[in-house]
Amino acid sequence: MLHTPMEIKLFRKGDIAVVALIIVAALVFAYTSISNADNLQAVITVDGEIVETVDLSSVKEKIVITPDTQPKVVIVAENGEIRFDSAECDDKLCVNTGSLKKGGDTAVCLPAKTVITVEGADVDAVVY
Amino acid sequence: MKKTVAAVVTVIVVALVTFVFYDGVLNKTSEADFFSMKTYVTAKVTGYESDLCTDEIQKIVDNLDVNVLSRTAEDSLVSSVNKSGGGQLDIQTAAYVSLLLDVCEKSGGAFDFTLGAVSDLWKFGSTPEIPDPNALADALSHSGYKKISLEGGNLVMQDKSAVLDFGASGKGIALDSVKAYLETRDIKNAVVSVGGSTLLYGDKDFTVGIRNPEGNAGSYIAKLHMNEGCVSSSGSYEQFFEENGKRYHHILNPETGYPVDNGLVGVTIVSDSGLLSDALSTACFVLGIEKGSSLAAEYGCTAIFVTSDKKIYIEGDADIVEITDASYTYGN
Repeated sequence: MLHTPMEIKLFRKGDIAVVALIIVAALVFAYTSISNADNLQAVITVDGEIVETVDLSSVKEKIVITPDTQPKVVIVAENGEIRFDSAECDDKLCVNTGSLKKGGDTAVCLPAKTVITVEGADVDAVVY
Repeated sequence: MKKTVAAVVTVIVVALVTFVFYDGVLNKTSEADFFSMKTYVTAKVTGYESDLCTDEIQKIVDNLDVNVLSRTAEDSLVSSVNKSGGGQLDIQTAAYVSLLLDVCEKSGGAFDFTLGAVSDLWKFGSTPEIPDPNALADALSHSGYKKISLEGGNLVMQDKSAVLDFGASGKGIALDSVKAYLETRDIKNAVVSVGGSTLLYGDKDFTVGIRNPEGNAGSYIAKLHMNEGCVSSSGSYEQFFEENGKRYHHILNPETGYPVDNGLVGVTIVSDSGLLSDALSTACFVLGIEKGSSLAAEYGCTAIFVTSDKKIYIEGDADIVEITDASYTYGN
C-alpha cells in the first residue's frame, strides 16, 4: 500500500505510548536505586549466612541482636550506628572495633564467625 | 504505523536482551565470604565464570590451610614437618619456602618464619599474656631461620625444636594460589582478601584503603590507586593487649622475642607477589623506615610506613598514594 506524505510520520500515538512507558519505567528504576543507596544498611552474617539486615538510617530506638553463635555475641544498633556490644570470646577484638556508622565499616568476631558490614564501601578493599 | 511500532518494539527488545545478556552473564559479579586460615576471607569476582571462581577460591584457601600451611591442623604438611623435625616438601611449597628463606636472609632475620614456639608463648588470638622471660629465652634459642635449610625439596631442621609458622606469610601465599587459579579462568576482575591481605586481579583501576590504626576494620587514612597486584599490611593495632599501662602487640622482633617498639603503627606493601607483600610488611615493620625502605626497594615493592605521630613515609611508587585523613601528613 502506498502512503501519502501526510501518513508518513516519525511517531504515531502508539509509539509515543511505548516510549513514555519506557521513560517512566527508567525513572522508577533510577529512583528506587537512588533511594536504596541513601539508606545505610548493616548486614550481619554468621559463618557466611545473612542472619539480619538493619537499616541504620531509620534506627532510632536501641535494637539488640543476639545471633545464635558460640561464643555468644551481643550486637546493638542505635542512633544510626551498630556495634558488637559484648562478646564471650577471649580477645574482644570485635568489641574493641567500636561503632560502625558509614559505608564500608566492618567489624569481625573470628571466634563467633560473625561479621557486621555496613554496605556501600567506596574502595575495593581495606588492607589491615 | 503498525510496522513502525513493531520495529521500535523489536529494537527495544533486542537492545534489552543484549544488555541483560551482556551485563548479566558476561559481567556478572559473584561474592563469597567465609572463615579460613583463622581469619575472615572475602572474594568478589566479576566475569563469565565468576560463580565457579568464588566456589573454587574457598576450596583453594581451605585446602592450603588444612592440608599445607596450618600448624594446628593435625594432618597438614607443616604440622608434619614440625613434628618430625623436617621432611620432604612438594614443589610448590618448596618454592614458597625458598622465597621466604630469601626474605629472612635479605632482611637480616627481621622476617623469620621459625618463631612458632616464641609466638605461642604470647598466646595472641586466645588469651594473650607476657611470657615468662626464661621460657621466652629458651624458645628463642631453638628458633631462627639459620637453623633450617632446603636441600632439594627436603626441609632440614638443624634444631628439631624449631617451629615453622606461616602466620606472617600464609595469607599472601593464599593470594598467590588464588591468582594462579584465576589466571586459568574466564573472568574480568577479582578482589580477594584473606584477612587484611588483598589480591587485586584483572584489568581495572582499583582503589584500596589503608586501615585507620585508630578506626574500625573498614575505615582508612589513605587510598592506593592501583592496577593488578597484592597489598598487605602489618599493624600494631591489629592484635594487642595492655598490661600495667603498656601496650603489647603481635609483631615480634625475632631478635628479642618482644613486640617491636620503633614508632611505627603500620606498614603496607604493594607487590606482584602475595607472599612478598605479606612477608615484607612484617619485615619492614620490624626493620623500621630506613632499613625497611631499602629492603622493599631490593624487591622492587612499594612500601608505605605509618608512624604513631601520624606521618606517612613512602618508598617506591609514591604516585599511587592519596592521603584521605587530614590528620596524617607525608613524612618524606
